[in-house]
Amino acid sequence: MTTLIVALAVGAILFGVGLYGALSQTNLVMIMMGVEVILGGALVNLVAFWRFLHPEAYSGQMFVLIVMTVMALDMAVGFGVATGRFRARGSIEMEEARDLKG
Amino acid sequence: MLQTVFTGLFGLAAIWFAVVVFRTSSMVRSALALLFSQAAIGAMFLAMQTEFLGVLQLTMMATEMAIMAIFMVMYMMDPGGLGGMDMTHQKRASQVSGALGGLAALAVAFFVGWGPIAAEVRPGEQVRGLGLEIMERSMLIFETAGVTILTAMIAATAIAIKRRGKE
Amino acid sequence: MIVAALIILGPLAAAVLILALRRLAPALALLGAGVSLIAALFTLSRVANGAAYSATLPGLPGLPLRLVAEPLTAVFAALVAVVGFFVMVYAVGYMRGEGGLVRFFAGMSFFVAAMQALVLAGDWVLLLAAWELIGFSSYLLIGFWFERPGIAPAASRAFLYTRSADLGLYAAIFVLISQTGTSEISRTLQAGGAAAVAAGLFLLLAAMGKSAQTPLHGWLLDAMAGPTPVSALLHSATLVAAGAILLIRAFPLLPPAVLVVVGVVGGLTTLVTGLTALAQRDLKRLLAASTASQYGLMLLAIGAGVPVAALFHLLAHAAMKSSLFLGAGVFQHASGDSTELADLEGMGRARRLTFLGFVIAGLALAGVPPLSGFWSKDAVLAATFVSPNAWLLAPLALAGTLLTGLYVGRALRLLWRGEGESEPVAGERWMGAGLAVLVVLAATLGLAMPPVAGLLGAELSEETLLVAAVGLVAALIGLALGWALPTGRLLGPVYGLAGRGFRVGGGFDGLVARPALGFARALDVFDRGIHAGVLAVGGFGLALARVADTMSDGIHAGVLAVGSASLAVARASRVIDDRGIDGLIDALVRGTRDLGARARELQSGLVHRELLLAAAGVALVFALLIAGSVGS
Repeated sequence: MTTLIVALAVGAILFGVGLYGALSQTNLVMIMMGVEVILGGALVNLVAFWRFLHPEAYSGQMFVLIVMTVMALDMAVGFGVATGRFRARGSIEMEEARDLKG
Repeated sequence: MLQTVFTGLFGLAAIWFAVVVFRTSSMVRSALALLFSQAAIGAMFLAMQTEFLGVLQLTMMATEMAIMAIFMVMYMMDPGGLGGMDMTHQKRASQVSGALGGLAALAVAFFVGWGPIAAEVRPGEQVRGLGLEIMERSMLIFETAGVTILTAMIAATAIAIKRRGKE
Repeated sequence: MIVAALIILGPLAAAVLILALRRLAPALALLGAGVSLIAALFTLSRVANGAAYSATLPGLPGLPLRLVAEPLTAVFAALVAVVGFFVMVYAVGYMRGEGGLVRFFAGMSFFVAAMQALVLAGDWVLLLAAWELIGFSSYLLIGFWFERPGIAPAASRAFLYTRSADLGLYAAIFVLISQTGTSEISRTLQAGGAAAVAAGLFLLLAAMGKSAQTPLHGWLLDAMAGPTPVSALLHSATLVAAGAILLIRAFPLLPPAVLVVVGVVGGLTTLVTGLTALAQRDLKRLLAASTASQYGLMLLAIGAGVPVAALFHLLAHAAMKSSLFLGAGVFQHASGDSTELADLEGMGRARRLTFLGFVIAGLALAGVPPLSGFWSKDAVLAATFVSPNAWLLAPLALAGTLLTGLYVGRALRLLWRGEGESEPVAGERWMGAGLAVLVVLAATLGLAMPPVAGLLGAELSEETLLVAAVGLVAALIGLALGWALPTGRLLGPVYGLAGRGFRVGGGFDGLVARPALGFARALDVFDRGIHAGVLAVGGFGLALARVADTMSDGIHAGVLAVGSASLAVARASRVIDDRGIDGLIDALVRGTRDLGARARELQSGLVHRELLLAAAGVALVFALLIAGSVGS
């Protein structure tokens, strides 16, 4: 139980930090890093849940796998977008990305 | 017991490094901090007796962070962080949201009755179990994930390719 | 028949010629009258021998005009012709030196023609026309000197009196013609019953007017304002005779009841006018009252049932009275144109020849034998004595005889006593000629009575000596008293009344004229009242119109007010619409736009903002899930 709580707490804090980072950074890459942190916290939670609540059900691990895949994918696509943005504007500062302003 | 300690330690490490990611002004250092944070998370996995996932995490994250470092250097205004610019915005809002989010999750963690804790897990069974899971029950998911990866690769490539004829 | 026609045509032609030529008036008049005289005498002689003439002239549809010359009418025609001619002779002398001869002689000739037409009329229509014409001629002749004061009113009064009474003739003719279907006089006289009574009374009314019977006798005295020949011809012998002639001719028609009334009227007249004659201070007026009195006697005779006696008296009276008037005319000229007895005092002494004629005529009038008056009056008295109502009629006749004597005596006394001074009179010879002939006639006409009676086929009443004696005594007593006593002593208490002509209750002025004027005034007030009422109605209508106008103005104003109110409401609603609703909508629009603008701020396009929002959304979902799970 304790381990579980610890793990969950870690996951929670990581989530909070990652949220702070995603919201406060001006740079796209940094935002993506924040998202990575959030997803890391989610991973921690997932693993803790699998390990301490349902270790017999490997679908938990499957979930983790998928999340990891998603992490990778989103970084890839994100960097592709950043590249395109850099090519178009010369910077990836999100402060300047007002093109979709409504 | 030990498990708890290690989990806790590695957890703290992860947290600290995550904080560093955002506090430092040097890009390389951010990338590296992130790398170490993710590594700590992988270590946690290992501490929680999910070897496969832990290894996976470590390896993947290492590669990712390296690439990320490259990208950071490419695109950032001040990669070295020596310019002294404040690269944050909506500080208050983000702080509040982060705090709230963290607190909410903590509250959930502490106040929800999780039920009985599972006992030991056999170490050698994990991989096998996971493989069976993949191949039997979650085959569709895996396949879909594969396709999705492919799609994403193509998409990313498409985005990143220089436009032709419009130079 | 032509000769008979000349009776009328002669004087008529004379009148026309006088008016056309305006010269030789006296000569032409004399000529006309002479032709009429000759023709009348000729006709009379022929009729006496058994001839009867009649002529029919076209008149109204179904009512032709007829002229008839039978014994009765021939006698009348002869009377009118004789008197007319000799008065005309007299008039030539009387009017010498006067102006307006053309008017005078034309009028006289016209009158003679009309009178002859009346006496010869065979149907009522012609008689009525002639009746009216003689009244008209009388008016013209009485008013001959119309410039003098009082003459014109006297003529109008005479005309109005007789004209009012003529209504009786109209009514009688209407009754007779509607009863018998014809206007021929002789045939209508066969009507009987109530129609006869009615017709008889109406005829009496007409006769009363023309013959100056009470109470319609006043006009005759006033008619004396005309020239004396006029008085002699019209108002003694012919015009006033028309009434008596009418009754004599209509005698077969009159039932006994009407005869009684006739007799009473005649008797009353005799009495009243006789007393009036006694009180007169003017000679001509005395003679006029006397005329009315004598005609009263004639009506008495008719009422007694013996029209022949009335006829005799008429003939005799014509001669007697006209002579008296002619004599009075001479005296008038001799005294400087005054007929007041005071001015004529002793005139008889001054003009003895004229006075002689006057005396003879006067005594004849009083009824002294052997003059004509005695015979005629005797006939009248006899008739009244033997009549069914002798108790009533005889005393009246005797009283009349007495009174006649009284005023004749009085007149003679007044003319003889005193020292008169006569002025030279122009035209003496003419006047004398006319006068003389008529005096002779007055004296001798009594001899003609039996032949006339025989001609007419009528019988005189039995002459008793008693009647004759009584009458003579009455006449002589009257003459003596009249000669001897002054009028005051004679009349005594009745003097005042008699002097005023027995005007009772204010006379016609008080009884008829004043009420009529009062009635007219009342009608005027009534008319004015109606006028005011109509004006009030009109004013009311105008007021109503004004009220309606005001009301319509009010309505108009009201409609305008409604209109303005609606306009104001419209304006208000527009204002509300503009400011209120539009404002509301504008506010809405603005609000929406602001909201949109604000919402747009969310769409900053900034990634970090989006992320923040996403985080907030997740938190919200999370909270909801928690709440849901906690709740359940």
